Amino acid sequence: MVTHHFLDRALAELLDEPNRLTLEELARSCCMAPGWVVERLEAGLLQGEQSGGRWLFTSSTVLRARRLARLESSFDADPELAALTADLIEEVAVLRQRLRQLEQGVDLP
Amino acid sequence: MEFKDYYQILGVPRDAGADDIKKAYRKLARRYHPDVSKEADASARMAEVNEANTVLSDPEKRAAYDRLGQEAAHHPGQDFRPPPNWDAGFEFTGAPGAEGLDGAEFSDFFEQLFGRAARAQHAQGRGGAQARGAPPPQRGRDHHASIELDLRDAYHGGEQLLALHGARLDAAGHLVNEQRQLQVTIPKGVRAGQLIRLSGQGGPGTPAGDLFLEVRFKPDARWRAEDRDVYQAVTLAPWEAELGGAIEVQTPGGSTVEVTVPPRWKPGRKLRLRERGIPAATPGDLYLELHVALPAAATPAQQQAYRALAQAFPDFRPRATQGAQGG
Repeated sequence: MVTHHFLDRALAELLDEPNRLTLEELARSCCMAPGWVVERLEAGLLQGEQSGGRWLFTSSTVLRARRLARLESSFDADPELAALTADLIEEVAVLRQRLRQLEQGVDLP
Repeated sequence: MEFKDYYQILGVPRDAGADDIKKAYRKLARRYHPDVSKEADASARMAEVNEANTVLSDPEKRAAYDRLGQEAAHHPGQDFRPPPNWDAGFEFTGAPGAEGLDGAEFSDFFEQLFGRAARAQHAQGRGGAQARGAPPPQRGRDHHASIELDLRDAYHGGEQLLALHGARLDAAGHLVNEQRQLQVTIPKGVRAGQLIRLSGQGGPGTPAGDLFLEVRFKPDARWRAEDRDVYQAVTLAPWEAELGGAIEVQTPGGSTVEVTVPPRWKPGRKLRLRERGIPAATPGDLYLELHVALPAAATPAQQQAYRALAQAFPDFRPRATQGAQGG
């Protein structure tokens, strides 16, 4: 197999206001169909914003949607159960960050 | 190319039933799940487990893979090349969407047999696509990765050189490995947990997929960010903490600001500098978390100064209440 090396430049775009993902882009990012996203929006498991008749999504929703998709596909998980697991994972991440901050404070001179 | 033993990866015998494969996969998926696993190589193992499951949980793919495995067993240790038409009679090739969620992390072995390289080669070798001389255009997969930045990058933006290992299809539909360096301009105002999209830098295809980078900040004892707000540890001398006064502070933004510390020390005290957090249309705030450092009494004169301090505060009982408040 041939291997190439090269240097490229890329323009970075922050996924936030005003650059957000559309429904189709979010679905593609999760390797799921747009209908899968719509079902989870309707069930309140994902959050998005509607503007001019289109759904728009920020970074945090992309990360959550991918987490839900991974949980559902790995464990054949019910969407509600996957969302509960995602909630707990997100909560643990927040608590771990708080713990790191407290530990950091203890170490301060 | 190395032959990958998917049965070994999942830890199941070659005659394992579908339920056993599913059970083994779920057990390993729980163990290596990137959100919970503490194992150092969890992501790589999860990708391997996903790949093995994608093949072994699909009867057609598994049957074709088993036939290949018999071939490989005759030439152990040798570089593996799938024979021509190795998948004749099986119907998985060309099926879109077979990549799965973490398809970007599939190995060259998988790509060559079941992925886009295989589909492109089949398309070229069959009717309509061959007539046009090229495989039908198919959008490349989006890839996801994380990038670790310095918090200062959020204040000023910056250039980052990323080393990426990827693959693309050449004109003949063969998979070509690429090791490329990508010079990325990081936008000012970036926050932890935010995604940076690099259009066209994802998986090969027409058009190429996008690359999404999840931003993380390098741990730094000096400061940390919570959304757009930044928290910075500032150490005071005991007399600064108790008597108050003006001090100079170097901010993550690179500027030096003069801050007035109020007199009478209180543990956990924070000072807020408005709009000196991460820049944005509505910038975050910078919080200075004040701590006190005791100077070491290295000389007789310094030791005497501590004794004089003790004599000046005969009623001070540091262990009588929570914290070290004067009484």
